[in-house]
Amino acid sequence: MTIIYLGILAAVLALVLWALVTSKKPSFQATAAMVIVPLLLRLLLIK
Amino acid sequence: MSQEFFIFVVMVGVFAAGTFALKWPVAVSMLLASVAGALAGGFGVPIRHLVEGTFGYVDTILTIATAMIFMNAFKDSGGLEALSAATIRRFHKIPGLLLVLLTFVVMFPGMITGSSSASVLTAGAVVAPMFAALGIPGVEAAALIAMAGILGMIAPPVNIPAMIIGGGIDMPYVGFEIPLLLLTVPLAVFSAFYFGYRFVKKTDISAVVRTLDTKTLDQYGGFRLFSPVLIVLILMVLDKALPKIFNLGMPLIFVLSTIPAYFTGKRFNILNSAKTAIEQALPVLGILVGVGMFIQIMTLTGVRGFIVVNALSVPPALLYLAIAISIPLFGAVSSFGASSVLGVPFLLALLGRDQIITAASLSLIAALGDFMPPTALSAIFAAQVVGLDGYGKTLKKLVIPSLILIVWALVFIIFSKQIRTLY
Amino acid sequence: MKKHHITAIIFLALAGAAAIVSGASFLAMRKPDIIVPGPGVSEVVMLSNWYPQLKGTPGDTEVYILGKGNPGASMLVLGGTHPNEPSGHMAAILLIENAVMTSGTLYVIPRANASGFTHNDPQEGAPQSFTIQTPNGPRVFRYGSRATNPVHQWPDPNVYIHASSGQSLSGSETRNRNRGYPGRENGTLTERVCYGIVQLIKKEKVTITVDLHEASPEYPVINAIVAHPKAMGLASETVLGLEMQNITIGLEPSPVNLRGLSHRELGDFTDTLPVLMETANASQGRLRGRTDEALVLTGKDKWYVKAQKLGRLYVPYDENGHPLEERTGRHLAGITELAFSWTLENPDSALEFTGVPAYAELQEKGLGAFLRPLP
Repeated sequence: MTIIYLGILAAVLALVLWALVTSKKPSFQATAAMVIVPLLLRLLLIK
Repeated sequence: MSQEFFIFVVMVGVFAAGTFALKWPVAVSMLLASVAGALAGGFGVPIRHLVEGTFGYVDTILTIATAMIFMNAFKDSGGLEALSAATIRRFHKIPGLLLVLLTFVVMFPGMITGSSSASVLTAGAVVAPMFAALGIPGVEAAALIAMAGILGMIAPPVNIPAMIIGGGIDMPYVGFEIPLLLLTVPLAVFSAFYFGYRFVKKTDISAVVRTLDTKTLDQYGGFRLFSPVLIVLILMVLDKALPKIFNLGMPLIFVLSTIPAYFTGKRFNILNSAKTAIEQALPVLGILVGVGMFIQIMTLTGVRGFIVVNALSVPPALLYLAIAISIPLFGAVSSFGASSVLGVPFLLALLGRDQIITAASLSLIAALGDFMPPTALSAIFAAQVVGLDGYGKTLKKLVIPSLILIVWALVFIIFSKQIRTLY
Repeated sequence: MKKHHITAIIFLALAGAAAIVSGASFLAMRKPDIIVPGPGVSEVVMLSNWYPQLKGTPGDTEVYILGKGNPGASMLVLGGTHPNEPSGHMAAILLIENAVMTSGTLYVIPRANASGFTHNDPQEGAPQSFTIQTPNGPRVFRYGSRATNPVHQWPDPNVYIHASSGQSLSGSETRNRNRGYPGRENGTLTERVCYGIVQLIKKEKVTITVDLHEASPEYPVINAIVAHPKAMGLASETVLGLEMQNITIGLEPSPVNLRGLSHRELGDFTDTLPVLMETANASQGRLRGRTDEALVLTGKDKWYVKAQKLGRLYVPYDENGHPLEERTGRHLAGITELAFSWTLENPDSALEFTGVPAYAELQEKGLGAFLRPLP
């Protein structure tokens, strides 16, 4: 189950990254950057 | 003025200035308010603490993100619109009953999962167009969906705030079903009539039926179009009924139900649909991350203790007032957080009452946290599924029913022993 | 390059920097404390010795055996079941570094939830470690989380259902070691560690099991021994013995309807006599103010003093707090008294040790005086 959830998390992280790089609004980009940090650290099984 | 009060003022001040004066995104304001609080507390810029706080919401982020992806896919397949058309065609002759039934439909996912967001984002989104067709204006419809969302979260079988409050004094989650039904069902019926009946009464529903667009419905057939929602419901029920076999969890249920949505209706680009969903969800996901930081710094600097002890320090006569005010306010960070941080001490302060009924009532009040800005998950998502631009007007509509909810819960606490003898 | 591409790169770089800085701090938590075995330790074995499936998992943990093969009774001491309750962890370490068995065998697991020591609970603002000064320099100990690290067991279910009773608890309790007994062979990591401890107790025929905990000062069961019905006699003798030393302690029967806890399930599923002891720890409480190392070490907290005056606490609380010496001392006095009471009633199967600092001695000299120099 952990692996499946890491897969879901990776997909969500990829979509957030995609949304960040294609957005033209810095405020949206800042919010997306904040969301990336915990998703990335969980994906790498650091935290 | 204690140092904690000063830090609290700094944090709230930076947040308010950022959000309202400088028009920063809420998430960024929360981040900077947290940094300011840590600096005022003499902790420097504790990056470890700021990031650690966000982990309280990783699972919630996944649930919201996947729920949004599912709902967008279902909408893009044409299923959402068709479901609304089909329901109204069938039940339009009994609008009062339809209204109450739809309110219970919105509650259902929350009852099974314990999450108001799950209710609002799934059943809420399904029901929203039906409310519109019944003549309920957007703001009222959003308010009703938001209220049904939190009542669903509190109604049995799964009520996570009650589990958290009970867990804090080692009380198992047993025997909560009847008090929770007594607390939530009357409020649900009341809310349905309060928000909707006067509009439904005036609407000529047969005219609505004549103008329904049923092209997609006729092309694909109801069963095929609605099957993704059916799959969500079936998986939720199986997850609850047979946890040892299924135990999928909400995010996986939404992912498993998104895949069929691609095949059951109109063709759409699933990647674009998912990206749009994430773009819509991101402000809320960001708020959760920001709130996680905020609460971590509040705890670190002692502001949390300052708030809790001050809430507990009111004279006994004002204890109920303190409960009524502090728990929903603290719910701004999250209803689960308020359950743990304030629900448990208040339950301990009310030890002479019937514990189960008291804990159940406190959980109902804690659920109001999902209306409290800046998180306000239930209200934000309800406004979003109805298609409103902001959620401010929705919140205003929720004030009176929320007060009634608080009074209802307090009556249960005050008369807990008498109520216990009724069943 | 367009302007929004530049801002995207800046924000991504900031996110990356935050992830690297915090990630390094989180990873540093994985390095375990150094515990220096004292003259009484015969052997250090891993828990996987009793349940090989734990080998190589983050749940495997050291079992220190003192007086191996001695005739007499045996006792298992569990410290660090909840790694945010440091007095239990410290009491276990002081036993390992100081106790010498004269009869019977002592098994000590200082990190009963090894995974829980590798992280902190989000939104609790806890310190990652605390430092105790000793005559030979500082010794650093981990301050962990109440629960197993989600990195080792994820995701949590919505609702945690205790396997053998079917009781429901909130989902995060699935990582609570003291809700997982008697454990499951193929369960979650948390349940498997519980299962491993049950195997140790069964195979070594452990006479008495002591699970060391702390509670927040607003929690009703505090400064208390909680005992399974079959350990009630032993526990009441112990309470009397402690009262004679002016250590006030309550005695609570293990509730029948609260499942998964050591004092309930170890008594129901094994032949051991299980007891659990609680001291007052402000650093895990909901009412605490500033959360830092000093709070862990001293327990001094103005909000708890205020709450005490409001009658909201179940333990006396004044400006002196409840220092770690006092809390660790209570646990050690309880363990000593349990062994004494047992031996008094069962002289043919004695359980005796020397070298463990007495309550008053620990208050006077401090924890550091009883910690060995690092190798």
